[in-house]
Amino acid sequence: MAKILIAEDEHDIRELITFTLKFAGYDVVAVPNGQEAVEAAAREIPDLILMDVRMPIMTGYEACQKIKENPEVKDIPVVFLSAKGQEAEIQTGLDVGATEYLLKPFAPNELTDRVQALLEKAGKK
Amino acid sequence: MSVVLLESAVVHYEALGRGRPVLMLHSWVGSWRYWISAMQTLSSTYRVYAIDLWGFGDSTKLPDKGHFENQVALIDRFLDQMGIGRIALVGHGLGAAVGLEFARRNADFVDRVMTVGYPVRSGALELRLSQVSLNEAAGWLLGDVDGVDAVTAEASKANAVVIQQCLAEMPASPDWNNLPTCLLVNGGNDPLAAPLVASANQVLPQHCHEFYLDQAGHFPMLEDDLRFNRLLMEFLALGSGESPRSLQLKEEWKRRVR
Repeated sequence: MAKILIAEDEHDIRELITFTLKFAGYDVVAVPNGQEAVEAAAREIPDLILMDVRMPIMTGYEACQKIKENPEVKDIPVVFLSAKGQEAEIQTGLDVGATEYLLKPFAPNELTDRVQALLEKAGKK
Repeated sequence: MSVVLLESAVVHYEALGRGRPVLMLHSWVGSWRYWISAMQTLSSTYRVYAIDLWGFGDSTKLPDKGHFENQVALIDRFLDQMGIGRIALVGHGLGAAVGLEFARRNADFVDRVMTVGYPVRSGALELRLSQVSLNEAAGWLLGDVDGVDAVTAEASKANAVVIQQCLAEMPASPDWNNLPTCLLVNGGNDPLAAPLVASANQVLPQHCHEFYLDQAGHFPMLEDDLRFNRLLMEFLALGSGESPRSLQLKEEWKRRVR
C-alpha cells in the first residue's frame, strides 16, 4: 500500500483529501503546515507528498526545499496543490523541486486518478 | 476507522464534512462504503455520517444484535452518543426501512428522509439468499455495473442470519402521513425494489414524492452518481417541511473542491 503525505492547512480540504485517498486504498498521513510536513516526510518516508503552497509556520516552497535537502527523502515526488488563478506559482514550485502541480478545485475522482498516475510514474504502484 | 461502543459492542462509522448532520444507512448487502461519493459531495455543506448496521461491514456480527428492532435502536443510541439532534436520514433498502421506522417514532428528531430502493419486493431477496451466497446476491443486485468494488468487497462481511431476521421482521410499508418529508428514489431496473404504483405521486401525501432514475438499478448512488448526488443535495437544501414535489432531475453536475 502506497503511503501519501498531505500537507494542507485548510481543515475541510485536508479532511476531504484524506478521506478520498484513504478509501481509495492508500495509507495517508496528514499535517496542517510545512514544518510538520518536513518532519513527517523524514519520519514516515512516504511514496508521494501532496502539499499546499500557502501554509502557516512554513510555506510549501520552504518545506519542499528542506525535503529536497535531506538525502533520505529528496527523491520522493512532491506535488503542489494550488488554487486556480495562481498559476504564476507553478514555476516557483518547479524551481524548488516539485514534480508537478495540481490546480484546485479538483473533483475527488480526478485526485485519485492523478495520484495513481503519479505513483505509477514514480514506480511505486 | 472510527468506532463507537454501544451496549459493549462495536459500531463502525465514518464521518466527513461540516454543517447540519446527515446519516446514511446502507442496504442489504455491502456496508457504509458505497456512500463515499455521496459523502464527498455533501461534505461541503453537511456533516455526513455513514454507519455499518449490526451484522454488516465492520460492526459487530452477533446475530442477537441484528434484529430489526435492534437496528432501529442502534440509530437512536448512535445519535445520542454522537450528540446529534435533528437530522436528515438517507436510507437504502434495509437502511430505508430502519430509517423510516426510526422517523415514525422520533418525529421531533428527524427532519426528512430519503429512501432508495424501497419498498422491497416481498420475497425476492429471501428467495435469492436461500439459493446463493451473499457475494452472488450482491452480483444479482449489481447486474453488470462496473466499478462497484465498494459493494462486492464488503458483501461477504455481512451476516446472512441478520439479513434474514431483518427481512422477516421489517414492518410493512408505512403510513406516509405519519412521517416527515420523504423523497423515494428508485432505479428503474432495481430487481429488489417494488414500485408503489404507477401513479404513486397521486397516492402519496404532498410532503412525499417518488422519483425514478430510469437507467439505474439497486445502487443508483453508484450507477448514476452524478444525478443521484445532485438530487440528494437539492432535497437536503429544501426548507424544513417544504414539499419535495418541486425537485427536478438535472443534467450532469459535479461538486468540486475549492
